[in-house]
Amino acid sequence: MPDTIDLEFSVNARATSIRIEPRETLAEVLRERLALTGTKVSCDAQVCGACTVLVDGLTVSACTFLAADADGREVRTVEGLAADGELSLLQQAFIDHAGFQCGFCTPGMLMAATALLEEDPDPSREAVIQGLEGNLCRCTGYAQIIDAVLAAASLREATR
Amino acid sequence: MKRVTTRPQPPTPIGESVPRRDGVAKVTGAGRYTVDLGMPGLAHAKVLRSPYPHARIRAIDTAAAIVHPGVIAVVTADDLPDVHLVYGHSVADHPLIATGKVRFAGEPIVGVVADDAVTAEEALRLINVDYEPLPYSTSAEDSLGADAPIIHEKPGEQRAHRGFEEDIERTHPNVCSHSRQAWGDIDDAFARADLVVEGEYRYPRSYAYAMEPYNAIARWGEGDLTVWTSGQHPYMVREDLAHCFGLPLSAVRVVVPYVGGGYGSKSYTKIEPLTAALALRAGRPVRLALSIEESILTTRGDAATVRLRSAFDRDGHILGRQATILLDTGGYAENSPLVGRKAANRLGGPYRIPALEVTCSTVYTNTAPASSFRGFGAPQVTLAGESQIDEAAERLGLDPLEIRRRNVLRPGERPWPGVRGIDADLLADLDLAASELGWDTPLPAGRGRAICLSASDAGSEPMTTSVLRVHADGSVTVTCGSTEIGQGSSTVLAQMAAGEIGVELDRVHLLQSDTAAVTYDRSTGASRTTTLMGLAIQAAARDARAQLVDWAQESLAPDGPTVVEEHSGVRIGDALHDWGAIVRAWFGGHAGECIGRGYIRRHGTTEEMPPFWEIGCVGVEVSVEESTGEIRVEKLVTVGDVGCAINPQLVEGQDVGAAMMGLGMATREELVYEDGNLMNGNLFDYRVPRTTDLPELHTVIAERGDGVGLYGAKGGGEGSLNPVAAAIANAAWRAARIRLHEAPFTPERVWRALRERDATGG
Amino acid sequence: MIPRFSLVRSRTLAEAHDAFASGGGDTAWIAGGTELLQVMKMGYAQFDTLIDLKQIPDLHGVEERADGGLRIGAGTTHRTIERSPLVRRIVPALATLELGLANTRVRNTGTIGGNIAFAEPHSDPATFLLACGATIELASPVGRRVLTIGDFVLGPLWTAREADEIVVAIHVPPAGPGTGRAYEKIKFFERPAASVGVALTVRDGSIAEATVTAGSLTDVPTVVPAAVAALVGADADERSLDEPLRRATEAFGALEVGADHNGSADYKRHLATVLLGRAVRGAVSEALTHA
Repeated sequence: MPDTIDLEFSVNARATSIRIEPRETLAEVLRERLALTGTKVSCDAQVCGACTVLVDGLTVSACTFLAADADGREVRTVEGLAADGELSLLQQAFIDHAGFQCGFCTPGMLMAATALLEEDPDPSREAVIQGLEGNLCRCTGYAQIIDAVLAAASLREATR
Repeated sequence: MKRVTTRPQPPTPIGESVPRRDGVAKVTGAGRYTVDLGMPGLAHAKVLRSPYPHARIRAIDTAAAIVHPGVIAVVTADDLPDVHLVYGHSVADHPLIATGKVRFAGEPIVGVVADDAVTAEEALRLINVDYEPLPYSTSAEDSLGADAPIIHEKPGEQRAHRGFEEDIERTHPNVCSHSRQAWGDIDDAFARADLVVEGEYRYPRSYAYAMEPYNAIARWGEGDLTVWTSGQHPYMVREDLAHCFGLPLSAVRVVVPYVGGGYGSKSYTKIEPLTAALALRAGRPVRLALSIEESILTTRGDAATVRLRSAFDRDGHILGRQATILLDTGGYAENSPLVGRKAANRLGGPYRIPALEVTCSTVYTNTAPASSFRGFGAPQVTLAGESQIDEAAERLGLDPLEIRRRNVLRPGERPWPGVRGIDADLLADLDLAASELGWDTPLPAGRGRAICLSASDAGSEPMTTSVLRVHADGSVTVTCGSTEIGQGSSTVLAQMAAGEIGVELDRVHLLQSDTAAVTYDRSTGASRTTTLMGLAIQAAARDARAQLVDWAQESLAPDGPTVVEEHSGVRIGDALHDWGAIVRAWFGGHAGECIGRGYIRRHGTTEEMPPFWEIGCVGVEVSVEESTGEIRVEKLVTVGDVGCAINPQLVEGQDVGAAMMGLGMATREELVYEDGNLMNGNLFDYRVPRTTDLPELHTVIAERGDGVGLYGAKGGGEGSLNPVAAAIANAAWRAARIRLHEAPFTPERVWRALRERDATGG
Repeated sequence: MIPRFSLVRSRTLAEAHDAFASGGGDTAWIAGGTELLQVMKMGYAQFDTLIDLKQIPDLHGVEERADGGLRIGAGTTHRTIERSPLVRRIVPALATLELGLANTRVRNTGTIGGNIAFAEPHSDPATFLLACGATIELASPVGRRVLTIGDFVLGPLWTAREADEIVVAIHVPPAGPGTGRAYEKIKFFERPAASVGVALTVRDGSIAEATVTAGSLTDVPTVVPAAVAALVGADADERSLDEPLRRATEAFGALEVGADHNGSADYKRHLATVLLGRAVRGAVSEALTHA
């Protein structure tokens, strides 16, 4: 009988209890146990950033993060960005600036950009470029993504 | 983005940068890809793969795996006597699972189906395979040697979908296909030449890296099969599945939801037959989801060696080009015969070439199979052709732009006899690129600039259909077999439908890529969707309109007057009747539907081939770091000559994405084989571009209404990749006086060229 | 996928050692897991039990020692180190190094102790800390011991740590008067192609002592003593360094450099010489501010 752990954590501000095996990654638990398939797994080696989620506000590679290590912590995924059905400024900016094409990198990119803007609400273009260096996109060539993040930042500044 | 527009004004919303239809789904994570789908009873499969590049399989011991708790089925070729194992739309040489021998390290040998994926993986470790390793070849040159190991003992049967008319020629047992393109008197061209430039150029084995790995779900019903897959060509896959399992096309359904990247690497059949075979034996629906490492071993881009010589007169006019091309197609043909055909066609580029002789052989090697990949032969041959044009300019004392101006085809001029004339104004494109790059402005020290061109016979075949359904409330459903792979088809096709039928965009809905519910489309590739599916939608809209006008006359004005067709309905006297009203009237109640059908084939405006020419026009400014050999692209200019940009924002995104992909292959990307094994089949050692690689960007869209598609549309999406390597190589010459002939131009390759330059005082 | 294992969480070192002693079969320590879980996923390692060390307070924190050096808890994340005001003051090159390591997600989760203990041959921290003369503090069930990096890292993925020992802290010597420490690396793919660490002391305007290390060139981070001989005695000013650097780079010629995806042995040696120049100049510059 494999070991199990009773995991209690917060997912997108919702208290969640679930019994898991120690080997289950956060990505597996989100996608397969909690039906939150927004977080994607691509390289499965912590390089591409497609699986980026926030744990207590910090970006992690959900593909290589034990779900067990999220016990008692706050996990945020792409599904939690829109509040009461209203897209976040960043999500809307991605639509306005076509900051995605196939969209497979997009959830991870949005979480990385969300963390970046939460720490640095008015970043320079260079700071956005550096901040998203660890998130790969094969479709866009990044230009429209960077534009979207900067646009979201300036909208946030304007509406403060 | 700069937009230069001289085409006629299309009806709204065509030509507008409307927000993407799949936007909310993709930014909220609600959008579903094949890998996100599930169903009750779904079982999970994993695959055991060969560690040897070339080996006979003596025995497979699966006894321990079969009894492992949670395992449902363990499947080898021997377990599939009721299945036609070998498929291949061009050359049928590819067994869905290894039969008796393996031809590349990574080839699937055993499939295990279990209740969950971790159990399936555990079971793989319990399988023993007894191999007899065979001599192998990992280069096209080695495969052509006198004592080369024979990779396919018998040639595969030639199939209908190879994409060209001629029979596939094999000149050596390891030659998969051989193509030839020739016109004019080549010997005379070289005899008359004032200058001959010769060289050998290499382009790497590449990995497209679609971020969603290959994955599929197969479910059997009573004599019918449904497969969900992350693929680009559901109708091609349907055909191969029907062939493998002896089913009529009508009993096979292939469904493609959002695709997490394709770039050609998801064209044609991949793991679908294997997944279906596993589901057949398991008696359960089965998901087979590959990792990225497995995906790299499934499909890659063709590596090329191009030996080219170009003959010029003293004024820089090209007199002739002669080339031999070797493409390394790996263990199986896949789509490489067509890549080879296209590489030969595209060697002439966008130029007037009085005499040309090109042969291209695709050669089997014991490496992962190569197939379609963005550019499709053009990046490979453009590196050679554009390097030689620049070299000729240097030696003749001509400006590199000027020599191109003297040679580019004029609009309407045929690159070779019998083909469609060039449907682009290349002189104007060159001027746009030069202006954006600042060609005539002072160049900072240590930098170099180059502008390079390509022209591809694109669009594949004009074989497509669409159905446009007008509902009783006047809203519209359009069905299109095109897949949404990121290029924005789900938006652009809806825009075209809305524009053609005269219904607001938010009352037009699209149903895509489900072979049971959506009528036939050949493929989503070759940059053909906007142009050809657009024409199909237009035809379907016109068919619907014609019926609706007749219906209006019959039901609303049976005794006259003559109804007048307008953009969004018909006018009878002073009254405007929208399409919905006409549908309801004709059916005599509150319901009904009008079905408009569009068929596109080689007929009328799409009789001539290719359907359109895809133009590449890219400019770069680069710096070369003398101490390490690192090349940095500082400025990048793309000109998207697309005839009519249905959605300009999306055209720009495609051009930037394509150019950055080209930048990756020009500077870092190559799959490296050593001792028969792939050394860097993972993202640690295969590097794709990142945010920090993005140069200062200048994008231009030129819309001159010169294509065969709606309002003069032509295809895009590959053009901006094709000239990138050549542009970087030529710019490196200008920056540092080094000639780079082997892509990727890695730091060491560049550094060695710099040191050789120093040693020879060059 | 990660193969099945049992997870034990320890709240003190004593608990951790007890759990290790009572665990049957293959047992390993886990901290951030960025490297360990990766090799387990790839099928290179399998364990019956993982003992998690993340909640042991003794393993966290950056402190200034009485001698002005640093004690960095092994469980400190790269992110904490890169942002630590203490690290930025006492050994700023370490903060810069940590900021340039892997990607931001790895830095948020991965720990310096995990990095040193895993002994990946390309490790940036190991290469630099070797130059600094840093030491590793280990705790076993019966006591503690301290090893230099050179005595700790024995080979690729191989250290002097006994199976039941836990890395508890890394100790970095103080930035004494005239001390300069620098780390330069170059990267073409995910892992460094080559790197050089330099720690030197300037006295009376010339380089009095130096340690030079090379990373990602041989199969472990390596001290290059012959490079030191060329540098000691050199005038510590910009214009006078060219000739000593040229002689120091010759020392790299004797290294057994492995060719790899980044390039041939010759090319990688050449990269190291470029990096040596940058690192020495950087270290001298810092030393002169501490004079």
